[in-house]
Amino acid sequence: MSVQTASLPVATQPQKQRFRVRPSRIVLNVVLAAVAIFWLVPSIGIAIISLRPNSAFEQSGWWTVFTAPAQLTFHNYQQLFSAGFKPGGVLDALTTSIAVTVPVTILVTVISSLTAYSLVFGRWRGRTAVFLLIVAMLVLPLQMALIPVASLYKIFDNSTGLHLFGSVIGTIVFHVAFGLPFGIFLMRNFYSGIPHDLLEAGRIDGAGEWTLFRKVVMPIGIPALASLAIFQFIWVWNDLLVALIFLSGNPHQTLTLFLYGQVRALSSNYWVISTGAMISIVIPLIVFFAFQRYFVRGVLAGAVK
Amino acid sequence: MAGVVLDDLTKRYDGGALAVDKLNLDIKDGEFVCLVGPSGCGKTTALRMIAGLEEISSGQVRIGDRVVNNLPPRDRDIAMVFQSYALYPHMSVRDNMAFGLQLRKTPKADIDKAVVEAARILDLERFLDRKPGQLSGGQRQRVALGRAIVREPAVFLMDEPLSNLDAKLRVQTRAEIARMHTRLEATMIYVTHDQVEAMTMGDRIAVINEGVLQQAGTPKDLYELPQNRFVAGFIGSPSMNFIDLKVSQDGGAVRLTGEGAEMRPDDTESALLRDLGLDTVAVGFRPEHLDVAPLSGPGLSVTVVVDVVEFLGNDELIHGSSAGRDVVAIINADNTLAVGESVTLSAPPRRLHLFNPTTGLRITKDGPPADGVAHLVSTG
Repeated sequence: MSVQTASLPVATQPQKQRFRVRPSRIVLNVVLAAVAIFWLVPSIGIAIISLRPNSAFEQSGWWTVFTAPAQLTFHNYQQLFSAGFKPGGVLDALTTSIAVTVPVTILVTVISSLTAYSLVFGRWRGRTAVFLLIVAMLVLPLQMALIPVASLYKIFDNSTGLHLFGSVIGTIVFHVAFGLPFGIFLMRNFYSGIPHDLLEAGRIDGAGEWTLFRKVVMPIGIPALASLAIFQFIWVWNDLLVALIFLSGNPHQTLTLFLYGQVRALSSNYWVISTGAMISIVIPLIVFFAFQRYFVRGVLAGAVK
Repeated sequence: MAGVVLDDLTKRYDGGALAVDKLNLDIKDGEFVCLVGPSGCGKTTALRMIAGLEEISSGQVRIGDRVVNNLPPRDRDIAMVFQSYALYPHMSVRDNMAFGLQLRKTPKADIDKAVVEAARILDLERFLDRKPGQLSGGQRQRVALGRAIVREPAVFLMDEPLSNLDAKLRVQTRAEIARMHTRLEATMIYVTHDQVEAMTMGDRIAVINEGVLQQAGTPKDLYELPQNRFVAGFIGSPSMNFIDLKVSQDGGAVRLTGEGAEMRPDDTESALLRDLGLDTVAVGFRPEHLDVAPLSGPGLSVTVVVDVVEFLGNDELIHGSSAGRDVVAIINADNTLAVGESVTLSAPPRRLHLFNPTTGLRITKDGPPADGVAHLVSTG
């Protein structure tokens, strides 16, 4: 049963009983808290480094902040943001990351969803073969395709005079191509669970394929779509390798490239890296919390059935 | 409102399997017709061809005066109720019912009126803003009925709508559908495997087996004059008993004997059997037409050893065996029969059904049908 119904009897019990906690539960909670803190230590460390002056980094560890909290300052952030949207600055990198990630996420979810609809509910021959081919593509390592696709882009650029290689659009195309197999796989499996009767009822009600997709199948698929959107967003947001190759020569860099640029210097700019890392965490966190309720609802919906 | 005509309707799957074979049926405007038959007999396939959900291999479907073979479901002016309800899980009851009208661009005020009216008829007013997941099975099926009603279609198609309901709800919803039919005076085609459902609801019943229409007629016709052994065995509960009897002529009189039973035909039957010159005849008789009494005059008598006695209150259901053949009888509970007892049961001539043991067709004084199709003509 769902969490809701399970918690009902507890709520109706007298006040006294509500606070009686079993010892095993205390131990469990302590262990869980310990694991959670342990897991968070690196992030907390980076957050604190970004809030300390650069000079302090070379003199003492970040944990000293707990005894001397006066050293905390927003100076690093001010300095990074002061560059404005000029190429090479953190705000430009943030914009470029968004310019790559958002279109990729939208394209992958929409195309995956449409393809999955056709694979599950379409009436054409060879659907299974096409699906198996797509599953086979999941096995293909992205790293193997980097150089061949880069050469392909060059050939395309030379013959058309366009500049796909080194452009944001070229990067988006590559990410979409490599995001689709998983997206289609996920959505196809989810849509397979939708009874065909539902679509037939829709057809009799007067819906064409497009209406069926938009009004019947898509709304039911929202939990899966939300999961796919979250995964896809985080993968592309955190990508360094693809951006390194396909954005090479472009003055606009993604956040990962921006941070990587700071590491390469003889002595790394830890204050820039820590501050940039904190900025790069914010957007995925917003996305995650925005979609989280669909995500959780999706998990529950499967459990109750 | 419109009638439906099925003309040599055939469905052959890609693999070559024949699901529906030359189905002919003339359903009149406002008629309630049940398609009944065992699982996999092709009744649902036939319904889906009428709905436009299944391609027609050959033959014709006409709704009103239009041939609809190549029309998509939405242009056929039909509504369908599914066994699985097929409600849109993400929409409220109201939206589920309104969806079809919204797609037809009906003005909003009209949609609201139609939905509220349907909800009132089906007692769903309190649930209009709930999602299907928050309703019981019976309520869900009523929503599915409501979704069909609001569209005011020419023809209602129902595919085993009661199969997922428990016994009590099934009886309730059955009455609901019957009321709906009287009220709307709409043409309804109702698929079921349950002959009791078909008998109680249908103006006319079409019995289908292995893709072939066996007989179409009123419930009374099917019960009293089954045209072949399949229909005889399928309609009625418990089902009809059959015994194979050898035909012999003793002077002028025709005698049928065998398997612990004896039949003395009346004059018309005697003449008929003499003309046909069959060696054996399959005799069918319904459990409820048997009596604990020796035979006086024409009729059938069969001696059985009682295996099981089921007490039904007013009646008793007797399972017996006669020369290895099972015989079921429903007799008055005053006849206290014990297990192991031997008893002679009898049935009068007008309650006996004679069938050709090889073709399975009914033996009547009009003679057996010339081909396999003649007896399929509606008797209603």
